[in-house]
Amino acid sequence: MKLTKEQIEELYAFTRKHYVVHYDLQTELVDHLSNGIEEQWQQNPNLSFDNALGVEFKKFGVFGFMDVVEKRQKAMNKRYRKILFRFVKEWFQLPKLLTTIAIFMGFFLVLHLKQASYVLMGSILILVAVDFYHQFKRRKKEKKQKQKKEKLFMLEAMIGDTRNGFSVITFSNVFNIVNTMRFNFSDLHSYWLALIAIAATLLCLTFYITSYVMPSKAKELLEETYPEYNLI
Amino acid sequence: MGNSKLYKGSLNTIILKLLEEKGKMYGYEITQKVKELTKGELKITEGALYPALHKLEAEGLLDVEVAKVDNRLRKYYKLTEAGEKETVNRLAELEEFIRSMQNLVNPKWSIE
Repeated sequence: MKLTKEQIEELYAFTRKHYVVHYDLQTELVDHLSNGIEEQWQQNPNLSFDNALGVEFKKFGVFGFMDVVEKRQKAMNKRYRKILFRFVKEWFQLPKLLTTIAIFMGFFLVLHLKQASYVLMGSILILVAVDFYHQFKRRKKEKKQKQKKEKLFMLEAMIGDTRNGFSVITFSNVFNIVNTMRFNFSDLHSYWLALIAIAATLLCLTFYITSYVMPSKAKELLEETYPEYNLI
Repeated sequence: MGNSKLYKGSLNTIILKLLEEKGKMYGYEITQKVKELTKGELKITEGALYPALHKLEAEGLLDVEVAKVDNRLRKYYKLTEAGEKETVNRLAELEEFIRSMQNLVNPKWSIE
């Protein structure tokens, strides 16, 4: 006896009820539960769907799917970092390397100025303003599409969330640090300034990649990660 | 069942070894196969299998394929090239471990 389409849908609902939010993991668990239920039916065809599901779910232990979800998130973080690193690497190869060097030199020279902290704070404010404007425009566009979309993949959510969280949190933190210290950067030794400039350059690159490059390539990245992406 | 702790550390190796033999497998199939091979002695719990698979996938040792089977999508796992190499290493490691264990537990079996 095989499961019907309706029962498969019920299984999806069951995983959602047990805090499996993302479609990729839901799909894998639904197939697993289905196999288990069908196996039980082979031995005992009179068993009800709900009872068989109960037996299968128990095998996951007292915490249900929680452990699987948590570990899956951890594994996906690793993949996200790998993808990010792949993009960052591009900026250390020609021709993008020239831009990276220019950004670094920009920071390095500005840090030598007496008014360095004001220039930095001003730039951060402008950056955040520009980024807010872009996000606002994008969200408006997304709102229209979102109503149709309920199958959310984990990596997809991560690309979106990082994009939403990164600029505001990171830059307001940097802003606060610079603001409270009112630090006279130009007093520091050039080695330190170079180090700060490197950190700032890396921060800018990470921000640009996670906020603009990865979202714009989201479709390709998802197809690469999920073979089922085009099947649904 | 009681000694399943002893198997736990080798779960990844067991998965790799099975995939090496069978080509591609899906999660449920792996649990069943292990049960069959060990005559129920080792029961991979669902809560342990999927995290292990996802970790190996994130490490680039496994690749996934998805096919539509009976109204639903099924995710198959198979070894990548890196995975094949790693399987050889890990099996060698495991055999080494078994040998040391034998020496420890029963020194009479030692080769020397």
